[in-house]
Amino acid sequence: MATEVSPHRTDLPNHSIQSLDQFPSPLSRHFSPRAELDQLTASQKETILNEEESRLIFVADPSHTLVNARFDIAGNSIRTAKYSLLTFLPRNLFEQFHRVAYVYFLGIAILNQLPQLAVFGRGASIFPLAVVLLVTAVKDAYEDIRRHRSDRTENHRLASVFANGQFVSKKWKEIEVGDVVKVSADSSLPADMVLLSTSDPSGVAYVQTVNLDGESNLKTRYAKRETVIAAGETERLIGAVIRCEKPNRNIYGFQAHLEIDESRVSLGPSNIVLRCCELKNTEWAIGVVVYAGNETKAMLNNSGAPSKRSRLETHMNRETVYLSAILIVLCSFVSLFAGIWLAMHRDDLDLAQFFHKKDYNVGGEANYNYSVLGVQVFFTFLMSVIIFQIMIPISLYISMELVRLGQAYFMAGDNNLCDETPNSRFQCKALNINEDLGQIKYVFSDKTGTMTQNKMEFRYVSINGVDYRSPVKRVEGSDLFFMPKLPVETDPKLLRDIMGDIEHRERIKDFFLALACCNTIVPLLFDDETSNTKLVDYQGESPDEQALVSAAAAYGFVLVERTSGHIVIDVLEERQSYNVLGLHEFDSDRKRMSVIIGCPDKSVKLFVKGADSSMFTVLDKTLNLDVTHLTETHLQNYSNVGLRTLVIGMRDLTSEEFEEWQSAYERASTALLGRGTQLRAIASKMESDLVLLGATGIEDKLQQGVPEAIEKLRQAGIKVWVLTGDKQETAISIGFSCRLLTGEMNQIVINANSRDSCRKSLADAVALSEKMMRNSGEQQALIIDGNSLVYVLETELEEQLFKVATRCDVVLCCRVAPLQKAGIVALIKNRTDDMTLAIGDGANDVSMIQMADVGIGISGQEGRQAVMASDFAMAQFRFLVPLLLVHGHWNYQRMAYMILYNFYRNAVYVFVLFWYVLYTAFTLTNAINEWSAVLYSVVYTAVPTIVVAILDKDLSRSTLMNHPQLYGSGQREEKYNITLFIEFMLDSLWQSLVIFFLPYLAYRHTDVDWSGLGDLWILGIVILVNLNLAIDVVRWNWVTHAAIWGSIAATWICVIVIDSIWMLPGFWAIYHMMATWRFWFCLLGAIIVGLIPHFVGKAFLEHTMPSDIQIAREVEKFNNPTGTTSMPRVLGESVTTDIEVQMIQQQLQQSQS
Amino acid sequence: MSSSLASSSNLDGSDDTSPQQKQSKKPKYSRFTQQELPACKPLLTPGIVIGIFALVAVLFIPIGLASLSASEAVVEVIDRYDADCVPNDMHGKELDFIQNSSTNKTCTRRLTIPKTMKSPVHIYYELDNFYQNHRRYVKSRSDKQLLQPSKEAETKVCAPEGNTPDGKPIVPCGLIAWSLFNDTYQFSINSDSIQVNKKNIAWASDRSHKFSKDVYPKNFQKGALIGGGKLNESIPLSEQEDLIVWMRTAALPTFRKLYGRIEKDLNANEEITVVIENNYNTYSFGGQKKLVLSTATWIGGKNNFLGVAYLTVGGLCLSLVLAFIVLYLFKPRY
Repeated sequence: MATEVSPHRTDLPNHSIQSLDQFPSPLSRHFSPRAELDQLTASQKETILNEEESRLIFVADPSHTLVNARFDIAGNSIRTAKYSLLTFLPRNLFEQFHRVAYVYFLGIAILNQLPQLAVFGRGASIFPLAVVLLVTAVKDAYEDIRRHRSDRTENHRLASVFANGQFVSKKWKEIEVGDVVKVSADSSLPADMVLLSTSDPSGVAYVQTVNLDGESNLKTRYAKRETVIAAGETERLIGAVIRCEKPNRNIYGFQAHLEIDESRVSLGPSNIVLRCCELKNTEWAIGVVVYAGNETKAMLNNSGAPSKRSRLETHMNRETVYLSAILIVLCSFVSLFAGIWLAMHRDDLDLAQFFHKKDYNVGGEANYNYSVLGVQVFFTFLMSVIIFQIMIPISLYISMELVRLGQAYFMAGDNNLCDETPNSRFQCKALNINEDLGQIKYVFSDKTGTMTQNKMEFRYVSINGVDYRSPVKRVEGSDLFFMPKLPVETDPKLLRDIMGDIEHRERIKDFFLALACCNTIVPLLFDDETSNTKLVDYQGESPDEQALVSAAAAYGFVLVERTSGHIVIDVLEERQSYNVLGLHEFDSDRKRMSVIIGCPDKSVKLFVKGADSSMFTVLDKTLNLDVTHLTETHLQNYSNVGLRTLVIGMRDLTSEEFEEWQSAYERASTALLGRGTQLRAIASKMESDLVLLGATGIEDKLQQGVPEAIEKLRQAGIKVWVLTGDKQETAISIGFSCRLLTGEMNQIVINANSRDSCRKSLADAVALSEKMMRNSGEQQALIIDGNSLVYVLETELEEQLFKVATRCDVVLCCRVAPLQKAGIVALIKNRTDDMTLAIGDGANDVSMIQMADVGIGISGQEGRQAVMASDFAMAQFRFLVPLLLVHGHWNYQRMAYMILYNFYRNAVYVFVLFWYVLYTAFTLTNAINEWSAVLYSVVYTAVPTIVVAILDKDLSRSTLMNHPQLYGSGQREEKYNITLFIEFMLDSLWQSLVIFFLPYLAYRHTDVDWSGLGDLWILGIVILVNLNLAIDVVRWNWVTHAAIWGSIAATWICVIVIDSIWMLPGFWAIYHMMATWRFWFCLLGAIIVGLIPHFVGKAFLEHTMPSDIQIAREVEKFNNPTGTTSMPRVLGESVTTDIEVQMIQQQLQQSQS
Repeated sequence: MSSSLASSSNLDGSDDTSPQQKQSKKPKYSRFTQQELPACKPLLTPGIVIGIFALVAVLFIPIGLASLSASEAVVEVIDRYDADCVPNDMHGKELDFIQNSSTNKTCTRRLTIPKTMKSPVHIYYELDNFYQNHRRYVKSRSDKQLLQPSKEAETKVCAPEGNTPDGKPIVPCGLIAWSLFNDTYQFSINSDSIQVNKKNIAWASDRSHKFSKDVYPKNFQKGALIGGGKLNESIPLSEQEDLIVWMRTAALPTFRKLYGRIEKDLNANEEITVVIENNYNTYSFGGQKKLVLSTATWIGGKNNFLGVAYLTVGGLCLSLVLAFIVLYLFKPRY
C-alpha cells in the first residue's frame, strides 16, 4: 500500500494554491484520504476547540441547542435554488451585469434615453441588450425551476427522529441540529451526524459516499464505545453534549468531543456520517445531527470550480481596448467637426430651413433645442458614442458562449473521446477555456491511474530473502472454499512452501497474515452460482491494499469478516478470529501503517507495511543481514521492471509493551491538543526493531495507447512532464515503457538531501545541459526527486531548475508531494507565456489541476476529487491526443477566426455610418433604418459566424491525428495575433469605403431618398461581410450553406418588411430602389470591389507563403478526396515543420503527376 | 439527493453524482455529432482564381459599357439661377431681397436644348448645401398626423413647428413640411407655353398610404418665420404632390427633386424660356438652386460614374488574371 508516498510534507513551504480551503490538504495517493487528512488537519492546524470557534450541541435537545448557540444554526431544509419569484428579476439582472460588457451596453442604452441624445427610438436602443439578457434569464429560470423541484422532494423526505421517548417520522426539513435520528439500511442520511450507535454491537457502520465524492467503495465509520447503547435506551443519551468545530467544507475532517456521563470522548472524522451518503451493510444506525441543511459538508462543497479565462479571451480584451480607442477617435472627430460646422454657420442657422434655430412660439428669442457650442459638442460626442457603440461587438460575447456550448457538445459527443466502459463520457466542466486546448505547450501528467490503469496486480513477492517470481497458475476452479473476486496469479513454489515443512514457513505464514490484516479493507461475501465456493469482494479505498488482500486470499489467508474490534481470517481453511487492538493509519511522514493484532494464541503482534525507504530504517539491525540484503536486491529488481514495491515487517509484543502502548494511545487519542502529532509519535515508537518478513511487487499496467499518445504529443511540440509519487526506479522504468525515455537520452539525475548538495547538483546539471545543447541533437531527460524539490521550489534555485528543465526533452519528477506538483506547474506558468495542462486522477493531483491553465481529470478508479476540480474529465490518458490535436486545434482556430471576424464585421458597419456622418453636417443621422441597425449584429450576421465557428473544420480529424506537427499553429498563435487584427481592420476600412462611396458617387445629384440609400448600404454591408466569411469557410456542409445564404435572404426579407411599415419614413423605399438597375449595379459593384483585396491577398499568400495547414489541406483534398481513409504516415518524430512542408509537397507533386 | 448536487455546467447532461446516469455508455454515433457531415472543400487553385477574375472581368466590362452608353444617351440641361435671379441692385443683400414680400421675384431664363430630348422630359430642381438629412430636420414630422384626421394633434415630434403660438396644431406639422420648396417654373418656346404635368410626380405608395385624402392643411405657414411654400387648404394632402415629393427627404446634402414632366419632345437647339418665381430662401445658408431638365434611360439619369467604375474594375480583373497567370507560371508551387 505504501509505494507512493509524499516526503516531508511539513517541510514544504506553504504554497498559495487557490481554493486551498476547498481541498484543505491535497491528498496523497492510495492511503485512506480520511486517515491522512485527519492526521493532517490535526498536525497542520492544531486547532483547539475554543468557545468562539465551536458549536455546542445538546444531544436530543434541539431547542436547548438553538438557545445556546453563539451563531445561527441552520435548519435542515436545503435550498440550492438561487432565486425566488420575488428575487428573480433583481438578482438575476445583478448577476448578469457582472460582465463589464453588459454594463457598457446598459450605460449606452441609458444615455440614449436622455431626450437630448435620443439617437435611436426607445425600443430599438434597448432591444439588443434586452435580447441577450432575456435569453440568459430564461435559461437561468429554467435551471432554477429544476433546482426548486429537487429541493422540494429533498426537503419532504421522511426520517425517523427521536422525540418524547420514541422515534417518530419527520420531514427532512424539520430536522434540527441536536435531533437524534435513526437511519435504516440502504437509506440516505438526512444531515451530518455523529454516530451514536449502530446495529453492530461494536458500533461499526458502513457508508457509501458515492453521492458525495463518487467513491463507490464502503467506508467504515464507528460509534464511540461510550455511546454504543441498545436501541431501546436512547433516553440515556439525553444530557450528553457535543462540542464541534464550525461548519466547514472539508469532507475528510471533523473535530469534536463528546461529554457524556462526566467523561470526555474525542471525536474524529471516522465518527461522523455525512448527508448524501447511504448506509450500507448495517441494519440501522443512530446519530445526532451536528450540521444540518445548507451547513452540511455536502452542501458546502456544492459549488463550481473556480473559473478560468482563456488565453484567447485575454488577447481579445486587449484588442477590445484598441477598438475602444478607435471608437473614441471617431467620436472625437465627429464632435470636433460638428463644433466647427456649427461655429462656421453660426449666422446662417437662424434662417436655414433645415435647422430652424429659434423657437418663435416663445417669442422668437429663445433657441429651440440648441445650447452653447461647447454643450452641443459634448452632446454630439455622447451621441456618436451611442451610434458607434457597435464597434465593441455586443453579440460577440453571447456568440462566444454559444460557440463554446456547441464545441462542448461535440467534444462530449465524440466517440473518440470515450470507450466502452460505463461512466467514461467526456465531460466539459469549464465552458470558457475550450480554445486553450489548442495552444498547450506543456503537459504535466500524473502517473498512477492517469498513465497506468490503477488496477493493481500482485506480481512478485520476496519472503525472508527468497524471491518468488514465477506466478503462472490461476486459481480457477480450485478446491478453495473462498475465492477473491480479483483473480490473482500464484506461484506454485510458494504454494508448496506454505504447506511444506521448510525453515521459513512461519515467516511465510506471518507474511500473509500481515497482508491479510494490516489494512482497512472490508470483505463482502457472495455466493458463486457456478460452484460451491464463496466469492469475496474486497472493498477498500486503495487498489494496492485490495491487491495485497486478494493475494493473501489466493494463498489461503482469506480475510472473511471485519468488525471494528476483530477480524476473521480463514487461515488455510481454518477459521481464526483475531482482535485488532490498535491501528496506526498511514501518514506521509512515516510512510507506513501498522496494526496491533491479538492472535488466537493470546500473543500480540505488530504488523507493519510501508515504503522501503521508511521500512529499512526501522528494522532490527541485529537480525539476519543477509535477508535484508537479498530483499533489497529483490526490491531493486522489482522496481526496475516498473513494479510498485512494499516492505512488510513485524514484531512480537510483550504484554508490558502492549500495556504501555495502550495507555499512551488512550491518552493521546483523547488529547485535545496536538492529537495527530501525539498519535504519530506513539506509532513511530512502536514501529521499531522490526523483523523483516518480505517485500511485494505490484504491477500497475500501463493504459492502452499511452506510449503512442506520448509520442504524438511530443511530435506536436508538447513537452510531457511526468510527476509521480513513485520511487525513482519505478518512475524511470515506467518512463521507458511508455517511450517517454529512450536509450539514447542523456539522463540528468538530481537526488539531493540537503540544500547545498542540491545547489551543487543543479549547477552541474546546468553545465551539463549546456554542453549537451551545444552538441546539438542529443536528447536530455531530467529526473529529479521530491526531496531535492523541497530545496528548489520557492527558492532562488528555481531559476536554475527552470533553465535545465526547459532544455530537457523529458522531465520526470518522482516522489513528489501534491503541493510540489502544483509548484512545478507554477515554475513553468510563472516564467513563460506557454500554456500548461495538468492531467491527473487522484486527490493528490487537485492542486496541480487547479494551478495549470487547463486541468484534466481522469475519471478512473480513484475517487472523483480530481474530476470535480478539473476543467475537462475523461476516461483514459490516450484521449488527450484527439482532445488536443483535433478538438483543441479546431476550437482554437474556430474561436480565433470568430473573434477577428466579429471585430471586422462590426467595424465595417461603423465605418460606413461614419462616412455618412460626414455628409450630414456631423449630426449623426443614420441613413440605415434604426431597426436594421439593431438587427445587424444580432440577426443579420450573427448566425453564420456562430455556425462556422461551431462546424467549420480547417483539416480533417485523420490529417490532424497523423500530422501532430500541425498543432504548432495554435502554439505559435498563428490564428490570432495583432498582425491579423490589423489586417482585418484594414480590410474593414477598405470595404466600408467601397460600400459607402460607390453608391454615394452613383447617386449624387439624384432624387434618391434617405431610406432608399440606407437600404442599399445595409444590404451591401450584410452581403459583403457574409461573402467575406464565405471566402474563408473551408468546409461547406448544408448547415453552412443554410446559415450564410439564409442570413442574406433573411436580411433582405427584413429590409423589405421594415420598408412595408407605413409608420416608418422608409415606407416602400426598397421597392422603388429594387426597380432600378442602378441599385443592382451599385450592390454588385460594391460587393465585388470590396472583396477583391481579401480574395487577391488570400490567393496570393496561399500560393507564395502557404502555411502548414494550407499545405495539409491541399494534400487532403488531392490525395484523399473522400476523406475517409487516413493519409499515409510520412513523418518521423524529429521532422521539423519545414521538412514536413517539403515532404508533403513532394507527396502532392507525386499525386498530381 | 443527487439532483441537488448536480452542477448545471455539465454539458453532457449527466450529473456527476447521479448513479442512474452513470451507466451512460458511448454517445450515439451520427455523422453530425462526429462532425463528419458531407462537405465540399473548395480550394483556391490556380484555375479557380483565374476563372473567378476572368468571370468578373467578363461580367463587368459589358455592364460598364452598357451603363456608360446609357448614361451618355441621357440629355441633361442644368441651369443654376439662384445668383442670377437676384436683381443687380440687390447683390450683397440677397437676404433682404428674398425676405421682403414686396420685391418682384420673377426671373426669366433662356435655355438651349443641346440635343433632342425625347418625351417625357423630367424637370427637377436641385438644391445644394441643404441638409435634408440633418438630425433636427429628419425627425421633425408626424406620420400619424399625415394619415389620420383624428391624430391631427400629434405634433409633439414636430417642434418647433408643431403648433401655432396660440396652441393650434399645424397640419402638416414639422420642419420638413414647413420648409416646402416653393419656386415655380413656367416653360415656353417662342411664347408657346409648354404644359408641365405635375401629376404622379410623387410615389403612388406615399399618396395612398402615407398622406391621407381626408387630411387637409390647417394653420400651415402662419408662424412668425415663413419657411417656404404655402398649401391650398381645400386640397387634401394626398393630392399635394409637391409636398409629398419634398417630404421624401433626400439622402445627401446635394439633391434633386422632381418638379414635373414635359410630355413633349424638345428639339435640338430649341431655346426654352423659363419664368421662375424665385421664392425659396437658400441665400441664408449659401445654398445653390438649379433647374434641371433631363431625359431618362434604363439606367436613370445622367451618371457616368457607374460605367467608368465597372470598366475600371473589369480592366483590373483582367490584369489580375494576367498577373496570376504569370505568378503561377513563373513561380509554381511544386
